[in-house]
Amino acid sequence: MMRRLAVALALCIAAGAAAAAGFPARYAPTVVMPAGAPQRFEFDITAALQRAQRENKRLYLYLGANDCPFCRKYEAFLEKNAAELSAHFAKDYIVYDLRSSLSAQADRLYFRVGDKSLPYAEFMRSMGDERARQLVYPSVWLLDGKGKPLMQMPAGTGTFETVAEQLEILRLEQ
Amino acid sequence: MHPDRSTRRQTLKGLAALAIAPATHSLAAVGGLPSATHDASSPEWERISGKLFPGKTLIPGQSTVQIIVPLRAAYGASVPVKIVSKLPQRPELFVRRMYVVVDKNPSPVAAVLDLTTEVGQADFETRLRVDEYSHVRVVSELSNGELHTDSRYVKTSGGCSAPPNREALHLIGRTVLKVASEVRMDQPVTADVTVVHPNDTGFELNQVTVMYIPPHFVRSIKVTYAQRKVFDAELDFSVSENPTLRFNFVPHGRGELRADVTDTKDSQFVGTLAIS
Repeated sequence: MMRRLAVALALCIAAGAAAAAGFPARYAPTVVMPAGAPQRFEFDITAALQRAQRENKRLYLYLGANDCPFCRKYEAFLEKNAAELSAHFAKDYIVYDLRSSLSAQADRLYFRVGDKSLPYAEFMRSMGDERARQLVYPSVWLLDGKGKPLMQMPAGTGTFETVAEQLEILRLEQ
Repeated sequence: MHPDRSTRRQTLKGLAALAIAPATHSLAAVGGLPSATHDASSPEWERISGKLFPGKTLIPGQSTVQIIVPLRAAYGASVPVKIVSKLPQRPELFVRRMYVVVDKNPSPVAAVLDLTTEVGQADFETRLRVDEYSHVRVVSELSNGELHTDSRYVKTSGGCSAPPNREALHLIGRTVLKVASEVRMDQPVTADVTVVHPNDTGFELNQVTVMYIPPHFVRSIKVTYAQRKVFDAELDFSVSENPTLRFNFVPHGRGELRADVTDTKDSQFVGTLAIS
């Protein structure tokens, strides 16, 4: 009986953790799961770019990992401040939430656009993004509909976890 | 004693004192710290400027010198910094010394450059470690004694504790000079000097031994052209690994561009490039 309870409790906790992971629903994110896991984590962002182009909006591309404490921290910040922030996101951005794992380091992480799939570092270099050197979870890219970065983003989200700073990012302040 | 030497020695003594003072400074700041305007002062800057320029007036603004730094760089360990001088290096008035300061770094004075008119145009680019939210400043000391300053506020974290790239240990000290613009005689020519070097800060933890890696960084880069001094740079570990300086020099004829590099273990390295 005790064992059954313990298992049930563990499952509840796991389910709760899984539900908590990811960009908060109040920002209407589109979740993208990787193809080819666990050997490789390939994220197809073709549809995201097409939609950004179609709706004439910017793409807020978020890469988080299910086992990443810093991702949970950023997501908790977003959740807590959704009342203030979500409208600013919705005005100019569509949000795509790429669900990865910390085990997917740069050598196993791929981005697909159309029929072209590139490993992380090469994809970064193709965009002129300085973060080619090191993959950090979580990561955010701000792209236009053609996949062009709107500004160089920092590694991680630690420098925009206040409302004022998140707004700086959305306004592309450099 | 030569007045320049005296000043220089005093400056270096001051820098050493500044480096020691904040030794207990935290190494990795969290984000979301209070913002500041780009032109604001800070308690650290009040202390540093008081020691470097006692009793002197610093003229703020971008009329003479401008520093360009992104609000957020990709990595705190490698923040691109560009300094643009608004006056050419002419004998009647030129930038004779330039100070680059990161207010909140454990050793805030990142670089002191002694310049000659052979620079032609006192513009510099490099990459710095910025440990936490901080102002990055430049002070240009003109040959008439005026001090002009500009600053930018930078948001980053963990710059000094970021792991260095250790893939090229056998290449430590390799010094490469490259020309980055068209070579025209008697005109400023842009060039890069890069030293392969980990520039260890002393704050990085070796994950295997769990011991801190001792500081080991490039202390000075002296650049000459055809045996004439272009500039001397006194550097600190706030400069990113594989220190790079983009600078200008004025060739008056064929010659050799040369960089003499010294690190904190007194190792000497030399890079040369023939210019024709």
